[in-house]
Amino acid sequence: MSSVASSKEREVTITRIFDAPRELVFKAWTDPKHLAKWFGPKGFTNPVCEADARVGGTWHIVMRSPEGTEHPCGGVYREVVEPERLVFTNIATDKEGKPILDGLTSVVFEKHGDKTKLTMHTRATAVVDYAVERLKGMEAGWTQTLERLGEELARLQSAR
Amino acid sequence: MTQDRLSTTFAALADPTRRAILARLISDEASVTELARPFEMSLPAVSKHLKVLERAGLIERSREAQWRPCRLRAKPLKEISDWVEHYRRFWEESFDRLDIYLSELKKKERKYARKK
Repeated sequence: MSSVASSKEREVTITRIFDAPRELVFKAWTDPKHLAKWFGPKGFTNPVCEADARVGGTWHIVMRSPEGTEHPCGGVYREVVEPERLVFTNIATDKEGKPILDGLTSVVFEKHGDKTKLTMHTRATAVVDYAVERLKGMEAGWTQTLERLGEELARLQSAR
Repeated sequence: MTQDRLSTTFAALADPTRRAILARLISDEASVTELARPFEMSLPAVSKHLKVLERAGLIERSREAQWRPCRLRAKPLKEISDWVEHYRRFWEESFDRLDIYLSELKKKERKYARKK
């Protein structure tokens, strides 16, 4: 269900059916008290979770991993159409506030009987470019070297 | 976590000597002595690099022979070039949690409605 557009931009589309009415699912996405309860990978908590779900409003979450490291992310709402659609920017930053992931996410909530069919589409810039800039003493063409190394490894893995 | 692991991998790859070591291991496993040869580096210095690579999960050192051959582990590198999968996993896991949370919310709303 995902499609890789190019090596620079990554697109992810996920569709899921939730056993709850649209209004409730939409609320779970936009009410910060609810959002804090499910946002993020397994085992993570959200010690900071703020969301002002209206056009131009911002959202800000700090995720905490089971090991205790914190991962801030947030963005701006571009579209808020209750209970049908949410579009927001999604920026994850490092400790110094530099962006490591930049994305635009759209979430569509469709009625599916008593349930909700949710389609999330995100377009994100690959983190590889950022990491290349951030690492010190990088040679030129590192990204290409890395990709070639990766391809070589993948080829060898499948040949084994 | 995914992002931590990615940072560890990138930090391990930040050094040209370590990248050269990995490139050498693509062709075949090798001993520390063999790996040190092209760099004219001391064995302890090479061992330090190998420890960083090992910690990042990029190589594994077997205990089979006395010379403890080093082998490449492709997974972390494939993770870098396959970052979209991480992103997808983030959302899939979030949705798993949302699923559970929604059923809890529904139960609460039903309880509240009954009390009215």
